[in-house]
Amino acid sequence: MNYPVWQLDAFGGGLMIAMMAVFHVYISHFAVGGGLFLVLTELKGIRDKNQSILDYGYKHTKFFLLITMVAGGITGVGIWFTIALLNPAATSILIHNFVFAWAIEWVFFTIEIISLLIYYYTYKRMDQRNHLIMGWIYFAAAWMSLFTINGIIDFMLTPGDWIQTHNFWDGFFNPTFWPALFFRTALCIIIAGLFGFMTATWIKEDNLRRKLVRYCAMYLLIPFAVLLGSAWWYKAALPIDLQNLIFQLMPEMQPFITGFIYLSPILILGGLLLAVRLPGSVTRPVAVIMLLLGFAYMGCFEFIREGGRRPYILRDYMYSSSILKEDLTKVQQNGLLQEAKWVSYKKITTDNELHAGQEMYNILCLPCHSIGGPLNDIIKLSSVFSETGLDNMMSGMEKTHPYMPPFAGTAEERRAVAHYISYSLSGQRQSKETADIIPVSADIPAFDANVDEYVLLAWSDLGIQSMTDSSNTWMMLPPGVTLNASLIHRGETPEVITEGVSLEYMVATDFNNPAAQVDFWLNTAKLYNKEVSVNTGLSGSGLSGIMKAEKSTFSADLVPLVPYTDKGSYMPYPTVSITAKDEEGKIVATTTVVAPIATEMACRNCHAGPWRVENRAGISKLAAENVLAAHDRLSGTSLIAQAAAGQPVLCQQCHSDSNGQQSGNGQQLNMSAAIHGFHANFLSGQDETGCASCHPTAEDGATRAFRGMHHTLELDCTNCHGSLSDHALTLLKSEQEKGNKRADVLINRLQPNAVDTVADIKPRRPWINEPDCLNCHKEFQAPEDDTTFNQWTAGEEELFKNRTDESGQLRCAGCHNSAHAVYPAVNPYNKELDNIQPLQYQTEPFPIGSNRNCAICHTIPMAEEMHHPNMLREFRNQ
Amino acid sequence: MDPATLIPTPDAIPVHWGWFQFLLLLTFYLHILLMNVMLGTVIIAFVRHLQRPADSSLLSREISKKLPFSIALAVNFGVAPLLFVQVLYGHLIYASSVLMAALWLSIVAILIAAYYTAYIYRYQYNKMTDGRMVATGLISCLLLIIAFFFSSNFTLMHHPETWVRYFDHPAAMLLNFSDPTLIPRYLHFAASSVAVGGLAIALYFQRRQKNGEAEAGEWVRYGCNWFGYATFVNFAVGFWFFGALPKGIIIPSTLVGGLFSVFLIIGVITALLAAIYGLRQRIMPALCLLLGAIFSMIMVREFLRVAYLKPWFSLADLKVATAYSPMILFLLFFAGGLVLIGWMLKTTYQVFQNGEVQS
Repeated sequence: MNYPVWQLDAFGGGLMIAMMAVFHVYISHFAVGGGLFLVLTELKGIRDKNQSILDYGYKHTKFFLLITMVAGGITGVGIWFTIALLNPAATSILIHNFVFAWAIEWVFFTIEIISLLIYYYTYKRMDQRNHLIMGWIYFAAAWMSLFTINGIIDFMLTPGDWIQTHNFWDGFFNPTFWPALFFRTALCIIIAGLFGFMTATWIKEDNLRRKLVRYCAMYLLIPFAVLLGSAWWYKAALPIDLQNLIFQLMPEMQPFITGFIYLSPILILGGLLLAVRLPGSVTRPVAVIMLLLGFAYMGCFEFIREGGRRPYILRDYMYSSSILKEDLTKVQQNGLLQEAKWVSYKKITTDNELHAGQEMYNILCLPCHSIGGPLNDIIKLSSVFSETGLDNMMSGMEKTHPYMPPFAGTAEERRAVAHYISYSLSGQRQSKETADIIPVSADIPAFDANVDEYVLLAWSDLGIQSMTDSSNTWMMLPPGVTLNASLIHRGETPEVITEGVSLEYMVATDFNNPAAQVDFWLNTAKLYNKEVSVNTGLSGSGLSGIMKAEKSTFSADLVPLVPYTDKGSYMPYPTVSITAKDEEGKIVATTTVVAPIATEMACRNCHAGPWRVENRAGISKLAAENVLAAHDRLSGTSLIAQAAAGQPVLCQQCHSDSNGQQSGNGQQLNMSAAIHGFHANFLSGQDETGCASCHPTAEDGATRAFRGMHHTLELDCTNCHGSLSDHALTLLKSEQEKGNKRADVLINRLQPNAVDTVADIKPRRPWINEPDCLNCHKEFQAPEDDTTFNQWTAGEEELFKNRTDESGQLRCAGCHNSAHAVYPAVNPYNKELDNIQPLQYQTEPFPIGSNRNCAICHTIPMAEEMHHPNMLREFRNQ
Repeated sequence: MDPATLIPTPDAIPVHWGWFQFLLLLTFYLHILLMNVMLGTVIIAFVRHLQRPADSSLLSREISKKLPFSIALAVNFGVAPLLFVQVLYGHLIYASSVLMAALWLSIVAILIAAYYTAYIYRYQYNKMTDGRMVATGLISCLLLIIAFFFSSNFTLMHHPETWVRYFDHPAAMLLNFSDPTLIPRYLHFAASSVAVGGLAIALYFQRRQKNGEAEAGEWVRYGCNWFGYATFVNFAVGFWFFGALPKGIIIPSTLVGGLFSVFLIIGVITALLAAIYGLRQRIMPALCLLLGAIFSMIMVREFLRVAYLKPWFSLADLKVATAYSPMILFLLFFAGGLVLIGWMLKTTYQVFQNGEVQS
């Protein structure tokens, strides 16, 4: 950002330096090892008294000179040119710190050039002794230039104590200096052998050719033990976290590591093959192939060394974006545009957003990500993300991808970069339109307060509920809504009835064939190891049936509802009619209840693919597969293979889930801790929009499931559940206390918002320890606060959905409706849809009995307060 | 946009800037001499081949043999000043380099092409006819293109006020044509190469003449004529260069301006005298005066740079994070290297004098 950026598109991502450097390094290692080769070959010719060997030495010297002096030497300068163009800031640091190392190297270059020219041009003229001395001088100077540049190169990856001391010697003699020196020296000799094959295999005379090819093979084979030993030493000299990063955590390193490992025995075998007596027509092509393999070998090593340094150009000191590590926080706070010199704008506006995004991309991303080119092509990599997803990913990319830096800019700048990538590079057009919701009718059942003897209340267990509809690939949340009902016999002292009546439920006619809408019933046997009939819930409930009587309520467990009508439209609020009949079969009460179930889960933001249904809901196969692929990549599983083999993955096979009574595999985090703990990395610092990435609560979505009174009062998820980071930390804390090590890792990546430190977070188990309404509604009084955190229900009995009134007979949810949809609720599909029972019994959408309307059940007004304190009054929020 | 806000912040240097300035001038001086010989001799060879395509003269044959050497040495001695200029002026030169981007980087490919063509010219000399003209013409063009890019970059670095063009051209490839001194400066270096090339030819053939080769004599005169006339042409170019300088950039009453003027006057006088001696085939005096002239002109160039950069940067602004030991080590290696190179050259010279054969 202190320097202008050369905008390369397909050639970006470091391709220029990769090409220049690997080419140069291959030849320059030849220049070193070949120096030894030249002298030893001359000695051999002298000792064997073999003039033809000396003639070969002379020819090889010419070959050597033409390659190393021109292609080798000039590309060495070419590296300087290239690094100054691609990363002038880092180059400046290297130059200013190591100028005299380079100056010393230059002295050796000068000695090399002069000695090599002398060696070649006096080959047949100088006396043996002096000529050999010239050769040895060349080799010594060449090796010393390797010694010198080695210090600078290794410094970039392992700066060692230099980070604290900024001392030249600490930086030069850094942790990988010695192993790399041995490694490269061995490599030099090996490469000298490979180049030697090129000239030796072309010798016409058979005996001489075989002799010299075998001679070259020694250069290839003998140093291999040193090479592999020093490679192991080199790896061991890396700091442990760096070893882990390069060899375990960087997927794009794998081909190069594999390449290096496989090419080692291949090169050895090739050398052995050439050492065997073979005709020239075979050895010549083999020699060429070996030379190319050697180039690939060198390339693999250099890619590992360079790529493994990411996200730094100078490890632990300067990022590849040229931002100093110590400046990162300042840049994040003040903004990249404020801190950078070579940018067109200091502030983002709607007019300049794309261009500003492009300039910031050039500074922050182009050093590693080409645009449409071979190196880390951003177009390919970003194609799985929607613009929102990309922005989310960038907000936490360094947490799961330690070879990526933290985004160096403000959140607004990050959004601009995401916009540029999505819009300009990937050609995505994000529709920011609100989902088009087609209203439905809400039929309010009749109730005559003068005649009817019963009040029938019904509610769903959960006010917000999701299912996942990609069962062919994986299953996390099955379809099915649990409904509850209370039948109250009206009178001055009403009675809660559970005997002598049967409550029948029947789902609305539009929802009669869920099996045709989702693939769940094709996979139940594979997922749950039990037969589940088509259109039947996991507990055996059908689309219609008799509710089970319990202590004071009736329930229908997991009624098989999906948010799709029989025509395939998304409708997350199917209704169910409940009919109470006495023993003679006479209907004594009816009502209708909304059974919310949604598939508005935006996995596709980050996991590829479109929405499955109507561009608003459902998980597509593409997204589902991407989820497994990401899981495999980050957690070392093989779930994609499992699903491809016809066995869809049940998340709870590993992740325990009390909601479905799944015990997991005893090792992984529970489902809620795992999914929130992981995704919080990317959705931190957001308000309830973070929650809406997965839960169907987006204000402009097709569900808007948070729809009760609290929503009307402008509370959001975070008021009760905390921000996503806090929410995740509570779950992870509980797992941590159980000794789960993964929890430690995830906790370390998150910052608490509502409290100061993680130690202040009170752990909770999912579905059991939840926010308690009485945290704010202290003693049922008007709340003084609208935010609660860190106070959880002690157990399931205190959950709102399980609580009862003072009588122990009436469930809170019966009169107030399910959590998240408490009366008066505003359903996006019809204002009245979630208020059917209040409208039915009291023509007002408020909780049953509001505004002193006790007569609904008691048939007469009441003077004393019961059920719960503070209810005998005007409803506060008319 | 205020161009000063674009100038990157330089990094700290390990010793006082005076050391680097000295090393820069010393190594740049050597580089310029070698570069002049390289470029000058190949241009002269090209003109020779152009005039007499069928001719295979001793001159061009010798140039073909020596050209790869002169390229190797010119490039090697270019590395050192490039290193030291990055230390002192890196923050400016990197910015101007990025503005030129692909053009600057193309130097690498162009140089490799020129260098390999020089080897072709050398090893295929006898087999070539028109090829010699093509080869030397190609090498000349390629090297002249490189020279132009160098002149462009090192002048673009003086003009931060033109750097804002970057924002309209992020693919870079910007040059510095708005600077009226670019062309005369470039031509001044090119013409001086031809002159020095001529004198190098004269010097070389004079030694061979002294060793008894009669036919060398014609080439002494040939080289001297090239030297003399090219130097006179260079005066004209020099005046053009001087005239194109921005008004007021040199204020003789200041230290920088004063030194600029002194060295310029010395340089002009010594160059004039050198040309005169050269045309009289008084090679040694011409050589000494030429070396003095080039030294003076390099000093002029340096003071001119300081004057151009005055509004933006001065070397005294550089922070020093003192670390002497690496420099001391370098100086030791440098001295040792000189001794070793001296021994190598002496031993080789003896071989060629005595005509020793490998025993």
